[in-house]
Amino acid sequence: MTTPLLEVSDLSVGLRAGGVAYDIVRNVSLTVDQNEILAIVGESGCGKSLTALSILQLHASPPLQITGGSVVYGGSDLVRKTKKEMRGIRGSEIAMIFQDPMSALDPMFTIGSVLVSAVRAHQDVSKDVAEKIALEALADAGIEDPRRRFAEYPFQLSGGVSQRAMIALALVNSPKLIIADEPTTALDVTVQAQILDRLRALKNERGMSIMLITHNLGVVASVADRMAVMYAGEVVEMGAVSDVFAKPQHPYTTGLLGAVPRLGAGASDLVPIPGRVPQPDELPAGCTFADRCSRVVDSCRATRPDITVRGRVQVRCFNPVS
Amino acid sequence: MSTVVKRVLLTLLLLQLSSLAVFAAIRLSGGDVTAARLPASATAEDRELFREQIGLNQPILTQYVDYLGKVVRGDLGNSLTNNAKISTLAVEKIRNSLILGGAAIVLVFGIGIPLGMLAAFRRNTWLDTSISSAAVAGMAIPNFWLALLVVWLFSSTLGWFPPAGAGGFKYLVLPALVLAAEGIALTVRMTRSAMLENVGQDFVRTLRAAGLSESRVYFKHVLRNSLLPIISLAGLRVGQIIGYALVVETIFGWPGVGQILVNGVLRRDYPIVQFFSLLLVIVVTLGNLAASVGYTLANPRLRK
Ligand SMILES: Nc1ncnc2c1ncn2[C@@H]1O[C@H](COP(=O)(O)OP(=O)(O)OP(=O)(O)O)[C@@H](O)[C@H]1O
Ligand SMILES: [Mg+2]
Repeated sequence: MTTPLLEVSDLSVGLRAGGVAYDIVRNVSLTVDQNEILAIVGESGCGKSLTALSILQLHASPPLQITGGSVVYGGSDLVRKTKKEMRGIRGSEIAMIFQDPMSALDPMFTIGSVLVSAVRAHQDVSKDVAEKIALEALADAGIEDPRRRFAEYPFQLSGGVSQRAMIALALVNSPKLIIADEPTTALDVTVQAQILDRLRALKNERGMSIMLITHNLGVVASVADRMAVMYAGEVVEMGAVSDVFAKPQHPYTTGLLGAVPRLGAGASDLVPIPGRVPQPDELPAGCTFADRCSRVVDSCRATRPDITVRGRVQVRCFNPVS
Repeated sequence: MSTVVKRVLLTLLLLQLSSLAVFAAIRLSGGDVTAARLPASATAEDRELFREQIGLNQPILTQYVDYLGKVVRGDLGNSLTNNAKISTLAVEKIRNSLILGGAAIVLVFGIGIPLGMLAAFRRNTWLDTSISSAAVAGMAIPNFWLALLVVWLFSSTLGWFPPAGAGGFKYLVLPALVLAAEGIALTVRMTRSAMLENVGQDFVRTLRAAGLSESRVYFKHVLRNSLLPIISLAGLRVGQIIGYALVVETIFGWPGVGQILVNGVLRRDYPIVQFFSLLLVIVVTLGNLAASVGYTLANPRLRK
């Protein structure tokens, strides 16, 4: 087995502000291999975005801070990098795409000028060369008329074109990993499919990897290689998409998949499970899912289960399904 | 009708109405126009004769129409006090006021914006606290009081600058600073809060994620977004400076429009008051126009 491209180990991110101190993301471990798409799924507020942001140290700090663990990329721990070193990694090694492309682009600057700034933040090239690279990235992101879009402002673009511009911005320095945080949630269904197709094609053409955060299990089934299921700040199950879909082991995953048609058959959003997700500041001593779980046993309330390997997947549960 | 034509017509109407208002107000405000011109020994008849000569016994509306006719023909009249031609006087007064007002505007934006940026960039540090407190003080202190303070400190005590008068650069420093003080304070606060608001926007995270340096993000992107509200209120700043110029020019003996206007009012020198107050209205209008043009140019949505 080759070493993973990115290895997040035991990562915790917490809120530390004037007497308040609790972790929101807890002991998250996950890996992204070369040339794969890892999907991260989970209900709103379970810490998907925060996990993603903290990998690049883009979380709001203060009040949020990384309270433990490591993020190993290219042989070194990003958590220990200086601000300057992190700046060198953002965009050039690991890039990020955000959910709402309309507000994620600076309204005062043309798409082209931002792309050129991004190129020149990492590459010592002339303006002309940077412009050429930017135009290529726009074309690679699936934009029809790159020259025209280059000179346009965000308000002149549709949601789909804006998101392609965001993808171009992510591509412009040829990163090895793109973290896409719900890149299609804000878009029309047809545009969603096009954007996902483009991301998948880019993965194949460029041999890069994508960490894809989504609510949509249909998306996971159709584009991802592996998946991590998050619940209340923890990864509760992780494995190949085919394995998890075929035989989900965590009761939460079973619940999520319960109402979803099997692989390929129509996309569907996560189905809510009865009960309430515990807030990060009121987590129980034991398993975070115990109060909503149909398979709860005594030990679940007493101690917090570790994530362990079971067959081909990893599960954080004392009483997994089958 | 295009908005530009509409705007020009409205401006002309505004000028017309304000000239009428000034014309009537100065005449109805009482006081004695002859006091400045005729010696104290002049008899009641002498004074009446003088009024007759300059047409003050006519109904106000007749006087106004007469006055408008002359203005249209380019005759601005003469000062009642010393008979000087207003068109000649105006050149020098306007030049002086432009120097003082221009310096104040440069200070308002040239000091206000960088200080506001710095406070935002170093938010919640001692530097931010000092800048922000100074800004609060700058807004709270009335400018005539500030004028007395700076004259006492920099002129009487330290002797760095002359207390009043006109001349070289040395004479300009104190009045320009006092004139600009409140505008600087307001601009610092506006810049700071606009920067802090914009730094929380989603696009800032995008730029950081693309690897742009923090100073690039701040001083190019966040700043550019923060300039819009500042530009949109620039007209207000100009108006404020013009209003304060009356006080500041008088205190510092700066021979500009403000000073001659205040003296004109005190002496009931009608032609002087009429011309120079109208001039101020015109400048305020132009200031607002420039600000709205600037806003349009600075906003890609409106420019396209
Ligand atoms: N700046 C912040 N300060 C305090 N709490 C925060 C901050 N950012 C996020 N949180 C909290 O962290 C938790 C996880 O948020 P996160 O945005 O990672 O969720 P998510 O899984 O991405 O949800 P969604 O699917 O809605 O995007 C939430 O409870 C949220 O309230
Ligand atoms: Mg999120």
